[in-house]
Amino acid sequence: MAHAHSVKRYKGLMDWLTTVDHKKIAILYLIAGGLFFGIGGIEALLIRVQLAKPMNDFVTAQQFNELITMHGTTMIFLGVMPIIFALMNAVIPLQIGARDVAFPFLNSLGFWTFLFGGLLLNLSWIMGGAPDAGWTSYTPLSSTDYSTTHGVDFYTIGLQIAGLGTLIGGINFLATIITMRAPGMSFMRMPMFTWTTFVTSTMILFAFPAITVGLVLLSFDRILGANFFNPSMGGNPVLWQHIFWIFGHPEVYILILPAFGIISEVVSTFSRKRLFGYSSMVFATILIAFLGFMVWAHHMFTTGMGPVANALFSIATMLIAVPTGIKIFNWLFTMWGGQIRFTTANLFASGFIPTFVMGGVTGVMLASAPADYQYHDTYFVVAHFHYVIVGGLVLGLFAGLHYWWPKMFGRVLNEKLGKLEFWTFIIGFHLTFFVQHFLGLLGMQRRVFTYLPNQGFDLLNLVSTVGAFLMGVGVIVFLINVVISFKQPKGVDGDVWEDGRTLEWAIPSPPPEYNFKQTPLVRGIDAFWKEKMAGNKEMTPAEPVGPIHMPSPTILPFVMSVGLFIAGLGFMFTKDDFGNGLLNFLFSNYIITGIGLAITFGSMLLRSLFDDHGWHIEPDELNDKGVKA
Amino acid sequence: MTTPHAQQVSGELPHEPEKATLEGRNKVLGFWLFLGGEAVLFGTLFATFLTLRNQVADGPSASELFSLPITAAATFILLVSSLTSVFAIQAMHRGNRKSLANWLAVTVVLGLAFLVLEIYEFAEYMIHEDYGMTTSAFSSAFYTLVGFHGAHVLFGILWISILIGQLFKKGLNVVTAPKVYVAAMYWHFIDVVWVFIFTVVYLLGKVVG
Amino acid sequence: MTSHDSNGGAVKHRHRQEGPQKHIVAFIFSIILTLIAFAAVAAGGVNTAFTVLLLLVMAVLQVLVQLGYWMHMKDKGHMIPIVFMAGGFFVAGTAIIAALYWMWW
Repeated sequence: MAHAHSVKRYKGLMDWLTTVDHKKIAILYLIAGGLFFGIGGIEALLIRVQLAKPMNDFVTAQQFNELITMHGTTMIFLGVMPIIFALMNAVIPLQIGARDVAFPFLNSLGFWTFLFGGLLLNLSWIMGGAPDAGWTSYTPLSSTDYSTTHGVDFYTIGLQIAGLGTLIGGINFLATIITMRAPGMSFMRMPMFTWTTFVTSTMILFAFPAITVGLVLLSFDRILGANFFNPSMGGNPVLWQHIFWIFGHPEVYILILPAFGIISEVVSTFSRKRLFGYSSMVFATILIAFLGFMVWAHHMFTTGMGPVANALFSIATMLIAVPTGIKIFNWLFTMWGGQIRFTTANLFASGFIPTFVMGGVTGVMLASAPADYQYHDTYFVVAHFHYVIVGGLVLGLFAGLHYWWPKMFGRVLNEKLGKLEFWTFIIGFHLTFFVQHFLGLLGMQRRVFTYLPNQGFDLLNLVSTVGAFLMGVGVIVFLINVVISFKQPKGVDGDVWEDGRTLEWAIPSPPPEYNFKQTPLVRGIDAFWKEKMAGNKEMTPAEPVGPIHMPSPTILPFVMSVGLFIAGLGFMFTKDDFGNGLLNFLFSNYIITGIGLAITFGSMLLRSLFDDHGWHIEPDELNDKGVKA
Repeated sequence: MTTPHAQQVSGELPHEPEKATLEGRNKVLGFWLFLGGEAVLFGTLFATFLTLRNQVADGPSASELFSLPITAAATFILLVSSLTSVFAIQAMHRGNRKSLANWLAVTVVLGLAFLVLEIYEFAEYMIHEDYGMTTSAFSSAFYTLVGFHGAHVLFGILWISILIGQLFKKGLNVVTAPKVYVAAMYWHFIDVVWVFIFTVVYLLGKVVG
Repeated sequence: MTSHDSNGGAVKHRHRQEGPQKHIVAFIFSIILTLIAFAAVAAGGVNTAFTVLLLLVMAVLQVLVQLGYWMHMKDKGHMIPIVFMAGGFFVAGTAIIAALYWMWW
């Protein structure tokens, strides 16, 4: 049996392209997600510049439509989702005491498909125009009648490929959490972030196939001339809305639940207290996920579903406030009477709580169907979802990044800069979006590219723009902080916050390739804290030191994603006339698509034919590396 | 070198070889999760089809279009192929590689027969009745739903064929067994989806279309 | 059903020797359900609402048989598959209900 030790180890760029190590994939996700987050942020600033004063002509109406579409799409699918995945990858295997994820190969494949999907989507800027039908791409606006460039095709195909990556990632984390937990870690002993990751992954599993179908239908309509959303041939535009929101509403809970998990970890650590109401927290998470699938039509109150449907979805939506309220109170009670330390991470977590409550309250207002007829498609809605996504998720992500940065990179972020970053960001945030509630109530429509003066919009819009730039300053301070942190030598203490409660703090920072020299034995919730309280410096091992089995690095996930990228591009341009016989022949006969798919499926075949038996790290090697006592 | 992993690859084959290693158990579990997602995928396609079931524009309606004998034949073939893949897994649990490969081969042949019938049916509609993807909203939904299922069948045929080859080359061991088991699960799932397709698309199409 | 005792007592061993019989029974059951469905449609003339209901019941029964026996969901250790398949069917069902009741007005 061709076993193991002969495995090729790559260096430099090849190492990153071929890695299947969840900690490196986490860093890849963070870099790529950060890059797209930056692009989405620049788009946001351009939008705010255009809206800073009435009748502005900084961008054209068409460019504005492209900017808002790409801002929303990029931020949600390519910005915050990957950063969530970065934290999950960095932390989940460590929190459950595992050496790796269940499917290291798929983990890598998930990252590369996401990246190539995102690249494809953003290629639209230089290939004839970005998508311009909004991030929701409602038909008929997104049909070929009204959106004549290839923009929406980039949207359907790009998101299809990126969505595949997310689905793969979700399955991987589900399987990891189900089967790879350390001995003694029952479900009800899992850290809260692991729980929210588990529930989020479940929602990904059930929500993403819906958008897969939706995107297939839309691309068939646009490229193959199908009639799903074309009323003149019997199609139904509302069908798109249903499919989009059956995916889209769970998606927003997919975004926020991991943030809930991060906040739970951070608040409890920096209050030196066990999380208040752990089991109610778990219950609330599951309930939110369940209800999250039951409320999609509250985005569609004005489509005319009738009073019964509107009432049902209205009530279901308001119900979500109950489990969310449970969570808010649990965090407050965790802090109550704790020895609170306001580190940057905890500042972000504490800022999260009131900000998210504000977003939640406007959510309940919007849930009331009759009132929604007034709010619908106004800046009130824009304010609401930015409060929950930026004020909720992004603050949560900053908390998580500051909290786990030492674990990921072995270096701490500067606390002074961190505080500056927090204050500029949160003040900028409220400046930007608080006023938008009133803009909406005054009647300013969302997605308008400009407005007439003297309607009461002028000052509020200017304030909003100033706030947006302040948020930009906050993000730049964070980037400076990152650069400064990399000037420090690597290797802070494993339990750098001194009050670490969960397993990831029981191992060095950054962790060795195999995470745990010996799988730890978990004796209760907050496993590491429990050992520390019992006077132990480290976890009790559940096994003797032995050889550790590792998966081999592989380039195949990268190649498969390139194949999908090529196939997607080929499919998109089948109907185009390139003014070149050969190109026309290649595209219109699906030859380019075929080549792309052949690359992808060929790589799959190779993966199946040549089994990866992995390699082993031997015990003497483990001891050489001087694992921290 | 002797590690647990190496022993399992070369040693005596356990009763349920697909669950003998952590990798195997992960693979089976992960595939169940994937099938949960596939259920939503087909559910959404069914929802689309049901929405557009009467939207035939100028084209023929479901009851005018469909012919039950072809559907009945296809149904019977796929049902039998599901049974033969059960026999394959039973052969695997007995450790009988030859019987396993034979049953898988029968499954592949039946799958091919199903696919030929479906292609024939589509060709009838497209060529003789000029009934294509663009005819009406109903036709788009019909071709997409049934075509997605057909593509799954095609993928299954290729997949199982490759596994038969691997069984001959690598033998039946704890690495190949989970692959076979998972492919059989996939094949059953295809059959489950077909049960809904022949009921909802063809039979209900005849009754209420 | 006789298959029931393969879950109790001396299980492990019994289960290993399990023959093809119960799968053939499941197969025959599936065939019968299919035949009823096709026959009901071919015969025609019966009350439409009744036929629709009958067809749906036949389909659901057949799917349960196949999931339970052929995909082993009725066996032990299938808690997670059951939960996640049920979840998938549940979300799929929601989408279908939406399609049937709220798409046209």
